[in-house]
Amino acid sequence: MRRTAKDYQLRRVCVILTLALVLPWSRAQSADQVASISSALHERDFAKALELLRAALNNSPDNPQLWIMQGFAHLGKGEKKEAQTSFEHALKLSPDNVQALQGKAQIEFDAGSTAAIPLLQRLLRLQPNDPTSHGMLAVLEYRRGNCPVATVHFEKAGALFDSQIEALHAYATCLVRRRKFEKATAVFQRALALNPDDQRERQLLASILLMAQKPQDALATLQPLLQGDTPDVQTLELASTAYEDIHDTERAVSRLRQAILLDPQKVNLYLDFANISSVHQSFQVGINVVNDGIGLLPKAAPLYFARGVLYVQLAEYEKAQADFERAYDLDPSQSLTAAAQGMAAVQANDPDRALQTVQAKLTRKPNDPILLYLQADVISQKGADPGTPDFQLAMRSAKKVVLLQPTLGAARGVLAKLYLQAGQNKEAAAESRKALASDPKDQAALYHLIQALRKTGGKEEIPELLKRLAALRQEATKEERERYRYRLVEGDAQANPPTAQ
Amino acid sequence: MDRPALSGRPFNAHFTDVAAAAGLKAPVIYGGVDAKKYILESTGCGCAFLDYDNDGWMDMFILSGTRLSGDPPEATNRFYKNNRDGTFTDVTEKAGLKAVGWASGVCIGDYNNDGFEDIFCTYFGQNRLYRNNGDGTFTDVTKTAGLLNEQPRWGAGCTFLDYNRDGHLDLFVSNYIRFSFEHAPVPGENINCNWKGIPVECGPRGLPTGRHSLYRNNGDGTFTEVSQTAGITGSTESYGMTVVAADFDEDGWPDIYVACDSTPSLLFINNHDGTFREEAVVRGVALSDDGAEQAGMGLGVGDYDLDGHLDLFKTHFADDSNGLYRNDGKGNFDDVTRASRLGVETRYICWGAGVVDLDNDGYPDLFMVTGNVYPEVERKLPQYANKTPRAVFRNLGNRTFEELGAEAGPGVAEAHCSRGCAFGDFDNDGDVDILVVNLNEAPSLLRNDMKVKQNWIKIKLEGVKSNRSAIGARVLVRYGTKIQAQAVLSQSSFYSCNDPRLHFGLGAVSTVEIQVFWPNGLREQFKSVPANQLVTFREGVGIVTSKGWAKT
Repeated sequence: MRRTAKDYQLRRVCVILTLALVLPWSRAQSADQVASISSALHERDFAKALELLRAALNNSPDNPQLWIMQGFAHLGKGEKKEAQTSFEHALKLSPDNVQALQGKAQIEFDAGSTAAIPLLQRLLRLQPNDPTSHGMLAVLEYRRGNCPVATVHFEKAGALFDSQIEALHAYATCLVRRRKFEKATAVFQRALALNPDDQRERQLLASILLMAQKPQDALATLQPLLQGDTPDVQTLELASTAYEDIHDTERAVSRLRQAILLDPQKVNLYLDFANISSVHQSFQVGINVVNDGIGLLPKAAPLYFARGVLYVQLAEYEKAQADFERAYDLDPSQSLTAAAQGMAAVQANDPDRALQTVQAKLTRKPNDPILLYLQADVISQKGADPGTPDFQLAMRSAKKVVLLQPTLGAARGVLAKLYLQAGQNKEAAAESRKALASDPKDQAALYHLIQALRKTGGKEEIPELLKRLAALRQEATKEERERYRYRLVEGDAQANPPTAQ
Repeated sequence: MDRPALSGRPFNAHFTDVAAAAGLKAPVIYGGVDAKKYILESTGCGCAFLDYDNDGWMDMFILSGTRLSGDPPEATNRFYKNNRDGTFTDVTEKAGLKAVGWASGVCIGDYNNDGFEDIFCTYFGQNRLYRNNGDGTFTDVTKTAGLLNEQPRWGAGCTFLDYNRDGHLDLFVSNYIRFSFEHAPVPGENINCNWKGIPVECGPRGLPTGRHSLYRNNGDGTFTEVSQTAGITGSTESYGMTVVAADFDEDGWPDIYVACDSTPSLLFINNHDGTFREEAVVRGVALSDDGAEQAGMGLGVGDYDLDGHLDLFKTHFADDSNGLYRNDGKGNFDDVTRASRLGVETRYICWGAGVVDLDNDGYPDLFMVTGNVYPEVERKLPQYANKTPRAVFRNLGNRTFEELGAEAGPGVAEAHCSRGCAFGDFDNDGDVDILVVNLNEAPSLLRNDMKVKQNWIKIKLEGVKSNRSAIGARVLVRYGTKIQAQAVLSQSSFYSCNDPRLHFGLGAVSTVEIQVFWPNGLREQFKSVPANQLVTFREGVGIVTSKGWAKT
């Protein structure tokens, strides 16, 4: 973002200089003096301008415009501290002076300081449509992770960013974080238009198109890269995902295999393969490929994790547990492996062991959201009664998770279920609504909401929710049918042609 | 998995399999023994207790399938007459009930109100209605009754019920899958034909769902299909299995609940005008407590928490718990599976089930039979055995259960690949025995030998204005401080039919108060009825002489 900041600075200085030339001068000021200062600023002779300003300010110390001009002269010389003092003096004399606010905001912005934010907000109260202030605010809000506000200002900044690729990336990143994939796509398209030959830009756009569930468009975007003699691994990986999304598993597998041959040291490629194998219930094929990866990368914890997940699908729970244990030994920071151990125990119909595993890991990582979620879920499955210590522990864990990781919908599901069990139906409804807000396709949340509303008498909403649930179920069935059309064949890891249902 | 520690309280029921000694030696043929090619071979069939000759002793009807390779000589439904001495005689041929095919479910009811129980069986192909001639024989009246299909269908669950309260038993039939050998995929052919990575028979996912049917009894021995006008056809697509009909919302009209495999189960609420509305999702009995579809197979109906309302128990597939749903009396249910401690058992595929007081302590227990659908899987994954034990969940009296195995006797601990089961007192000794269908083996007859005598009462209802079998009647029995509801059902468990005499264990209580809600709306109350007897009530008349009861 440095280049962008400088762009703002230059833009702001030019604007201010232009403004300075037409400032309404005090009647006490001699015309000659003013002409000389303006001329010096115009010629960027900041030393001379400062000398003239000292004299002028001696005569008219209460003239805010002179202080502003002094501020910009210091700024021109790179004397930010002095410039800031001048702008502050001007603001004391004239608190809503736009030029003084702009000058001070610029200095704070350049320093990356959030102190610029209230100044820019004051500026926008005075000039609501000022694209530069919106742009600067957008960048500052983005930097401090406040994407909802940043997005609004990015939008109001209009075409200001059209030539600034990093600002466009910032804007698009915010849109992605807010799951506004359509708009993000449009912004990344603007970025790609700036550098059509930039491979990275093309891959970024393809990634967003995949997130926007437009795999065909992603493939079209990647096409120039795929047509080359040696598409790189990243392109092949993206293409594989896109092919899988359009249910062309054969090509998905083929591209992934190509990528693995190109870079057999890249762990993610084996994970992608494991994922495709799992989706198509071709677990053994997945295990075989992950085995190859483990052969080359015996210290890669994620590979053991992936293989463990595949073993769970095959009901080979002991092997799965051994893999999860190995993954945990290799990388104890990964709570997912500990969670997987718990989940494998649940799958093996052993909730006691699941709880033991999860709680043992929780002693080391008491604030791990996934482990806390699993603790709540397993206790809930074991059937703790409301009011008992176990139930209270589950409730506390679930509440803690939604604070630590509000986007973990499954945790909200457990919390809603616990509320329903405890007869706290209004809370159950509220929690279900939050889960639905982050994932409108969450069938469990929808079901919990229906049950909670039935019990709280909020029945007028129920018919619509029932329709929505039925539609989601239908959609899920259709997706499942599509997914299950292909099966990977053991041995060569090639996809079979579609089989009739 | 470590089972939770038992309460240590003695369990008085003790089950022993006496099938062979009782004369039940013929195997129930059903598909391949070591492997199944089609789902048709694996779902199996049900059985029934019924008193076909009105002698007061329960006779037995056991369905059968066949084999893909051709019909073995043993492949037939079997009818056993009770010899009243603990043994049975196979009277299948004499009764006119020999039939070969892929039978599924059975429901019992006196559809022509002539005083003799009739039999309806569902099949893959063509269902069959057998009219009881009252002389020890039955006649297949499917065609004359208007119940012939135009195309082969896979009839699954069925129940007689008087949905329009005209005194004549109507008929509801669930259909499982639209299946044909021509189009059915084979093991390993697609993703729906694999389980845990092992090629197995396909379905039900990926196969087209069945369509359920309601037939109105015209009162002249014939039926008319009214599925469309009654609002049955428009329900969610589902793989229907066992059906129960009872008045769940206590408005005096029978409702219908269908356990569905891999799809939401269905609850048809009676609108009192010849139509139904399907409301299982909103009433909490369609899906799991997380809103997921389950493999609904068998159903038990009873009052596990003694609040006077009919609760539901539904059996499911392995790696999932069975479901217990508490009724608030208005037909709204809460999933209490976890709270009642049933979630601890997820190892088995469960089928036939009942909410029955096995030890006569006054608290209804849960019983279920189990068995795998993929016999080939155990060769690779021994933890998923083909033959698995039965399970008893003993009611602890505080809305929770504890799981018993061998503690309930060898008949419970023995492993079989079972499907339907029926609950009834075949030896008239005042407890509940269990008849179990085992695939490709002889059935089990689990005789209950109580270790300690506790009180009980059995109630038999005879309709007058209502249908003669009193199917759909709800009975409330008050004993001591407790109250328990039961209903007269035509089918429950898995594709099976129980002894129509409602059995209530009473613990130490020696007299009871009985309230009968007859299907046609009449309510009757009987006070201070002594325990340890079968009491027969005739609608509008009161207590009449019971038939054939051997006093103990």
